[in-house]
Amino acid sequence: MSRINPKFGKELKKYGATEFSSCYNCGTCTAVCSLSTGDDSFPRSMVRLSETGNEDEISASLKPWLCYYCGECSSNCPQTANPGELMMSLRRWLTAKYDWTGLSGLMYKSLPATIIAMVLIFAGVIGYAASEGFDAEKVMHIGHYFEMFAIAGVFGVILLPNLFRMWYFVILKPSRKRVVEKPESGAKHSSGLTNLLGGIPLRIYMTSLGDFFLHMFTQKRALGCDDNQKRWFEHFILVIGYLTLLFTTVYLDWFSSENLFVIILGYLVSAIVFIVTFDFVSGRIKKSKEVSKHSRPSDWFFVIWLFLMGVTAFLVRLFIDFNIIESNFWLYLFHLTILAQWALIIVPFGKWTHFLYRSFAMYFDKLQKSANK
Amino acid sequence: MQKEPINLSFDALVIGGGIAGGEAALNLANNGYKVILIEKRLSLGGKMIMLSKVFPTLDCSACITTPKVSEISRHPNITIFTESDLTSIEKTGEKNFIAKVTRRPRYVIAEDCTACQLCEQACPVIVKDQFQYNLVGRKAVYIPFSIASPKVAAIDIENCSLCGACEKVCPPGCIDFTQEPREYIIHAQTAIVATGFRLYDPTNVPRYSYGEARNVITSMQMERLLAPTRPFHTILRSSDGKVPDKIAYVLCAGSRDDSMGNPICSQICCMYSIKQAQLLMGALPMADITLYYIDIRAFGKGYDEFYEQAVGMGVRFVKGKVGRITEKENGNLTLRYEDIATGKLKESEHDLVVLSVGVKPNSEPADIFTSHKLELDSLKFVKQSDPLLSPAKTTIEGVFVAGTATGPKDIPDSILSAGAASSEAISYLNQ
Repeated sequence: MSRINPKFGKELKKYGATEFSSCYNCGTCTAVCSLSTGDDSFPRSMVRLSETGNEDEISASLKPWLCYYCGECSSNCPQTANPGELMMSLRRWLTAKYDWTGLSGLMYKSLPATIIAMVLIFAGVIGYAASEGFDAEKVMHIGHYFEMFAIAGVFGVILLPNLFRMWYFVILKPSRKRVVEKPESGAKHSSGLTNLLGGIPLRIYMTSLGDFFLHMFTQKRALGCDDNQKRWFEHFILVIGYLTLLFTTVYLDWFSSENLFVIILGYLVSAIVFIVTFDFVSGRIKKSKEVSKHSRPSDWFFVIWLFLMGVTAFLVRLFIDFNIIESNFWLYLFHLTILAQWALIIVPFGKWTHFLYRSFAMYFDKLQKSANK
Repeated sequence: MQKEPINLSFDALVIGGGIAGGEAALNLANNGYKVILIEKRLSLGGKMIMLSKVFPTLDCSACITTPKVSEISRHPNITIFTESDLTSIEKTGEKNFIAKVTRRPRYVIAEDCTACQLCEQACPVIVKDQFQYNLVGRKAVYIPFSIASPKVAAIDIENCSLCGACEKVCPPGCIDFTQEPREYIIHAQTAIVATGFRLYDPTNVPRYSYGEARNVITSMQMERLLAPTRPFHTILRSSDGKVPDKIAYVLCAGSRDDSMGNPICSQICCMYSIKQAQLLMGALPMADITLYYIDIRAFGKGYDEFYEQAVGMGVRFVKGKVGRITEKENGNLTLRYEDIATGKLKESEHDLVVLSVGVKPNSEPADIFTSHKLELDSLKFVKQSDPLLSPAKTTIEGVFVAGTATGPKDIPDSILSAGAASSEAISYLNQ
């Protein structure tokens, strides 16, 4: 039994899905999807759940994360119901659902809220720099610590609890429901710990970890999409580039490093980040592919801020190498603003989280399938 | 040596010699009006004369159409121009239309031809037979099909090698390579547009592999395989001659589908597919027939019972539109679809796939009216100025419309609308 929310469709429209209610359930979208499989069939099943407002089933579903948006379903939909964009909107909705603070939902639905948050952070950065009398050395030193603490804080306070909530919605809650509805099947000879883990033995949690890291770093499932492999490759080197940039600036302290290897590595990975994101931004402007036709503010913020991060980091280090950063301190402040907005808004409450949720979705999917064997 | 155009006068001009145009012409003629019927192809009868049987009565289509067509062609008040193009029609005043018509040459003296087919036997050129929807070949000189009206040979001059073999064997000597197009100026008091429809071209949907996979055919090709005047006298795959035993129908192939360029229901595909399925069960009792559908729309009198009858006969109905058809090495086809009843993505193998192609408008009629604008609706069918109360009226006073020119219709509805158009035309003539 599931509770139906008749207003769900209206709610989902705020996340970008505007046409899905014209679906007449022919299944073309599922049949043309190259990632859809016998039992894990989508996107029509998700369109149906959205149409009926079955929130429980949607929040327990991993299917939105299993879609990598090639857009075949949307371009072949007889009713122009845009199932691809529905899946995208469900990912946004799920991100908001997993987020215990409720801020993700607020920012996805309201552009002004996002802009206000961005402006506040900008004011905070400038205010802090002013309080230090725009002392370049000091601000840069604190800026480096800020990065470390922001990462640890956001992960510990926001992302980790949200991942736990995702696990609760996807694994634990449905298993409890199964126990209530079919007591004989749910509780069969499983230990107390296994029950606490949603009916999945700890052993499976451990053995599936390999898959988790594989998917996290390669996103290889996206290779199954019918569209060209270029998108996957760009995405792949962007993920690697971004993670390496993070490592280089935070751990290797790129901006004050004297090590030639670290310096060159920083230049390389920041260049990768802004070159790839430049291509993504121009794709969204040209709207040449189905995937880039329906950009929402959250998509724009994500790619543009990533681009700005790459560019400003590259330039800051360049200015340091040319010894002109002190006289052009505004550049570092600009970089720090972008960084703070990225770390405090886009990472915890914006599109960044899809990196985590997609990887964990593959992990949870593996858990469920191994447990069912 | 272009002669002066020939002037002719009639009460009514009917554009299109299919079942709707023929019925409208017959009604007018039976009321004493002089009618000219213009047909662009070699034979009257339109699409109906090509069909196997009609739903839901399973009457033989040819056996109903041919008496009608011969009544039309023998009627003293009806003049028929086949193989003719109406190039323009102008309204110069009330009850005053002037049409320009070009009669293309058949290169055969129609009055003398006995349809003995000796020319066909002699002709060395073989090309695809458009009247059998490319399932078999024909000669460059040919009788269009066995129940064509008029049953007169014609030379396909584009493919003819001008060898003269037909000329030598023709007993009455009626082959005439000197024929030229003839121009006519036709005066009429009213006009009826009965230009019919075009079948959806499934090559627009690459994922259905039509034209690439050898054993994906259209429903019209299946009609020919099933018709009494069929090319093979049995049902087989024209690619390799195998008698199919697992046949699939893909419904809504080019209907109710924005992405295929036709958002509306074609109204006939569910029913003709059910009809073909029943006929196939009779012709191939051991074959499995599966229909993949979105909804079965059996709306007419006796239609739902006809559908239930197919279910009872063992035709499998699967709810789910086919997304992709891929050909296997042995010529069989794999169909990928979502089984809506279970929500599972499935693949199934069939040895013959029939695409139940939809109905598309003929955009030709709009262009031929020069002085007044014959308006079309948003889907490019002829617009009815008063669709509820006078469905046969167009946006030009004195021009009426019959049959599928206004939108998809089955045969009974086409004939009904021809009745409406001819009555409206008679009222107009008597105003």
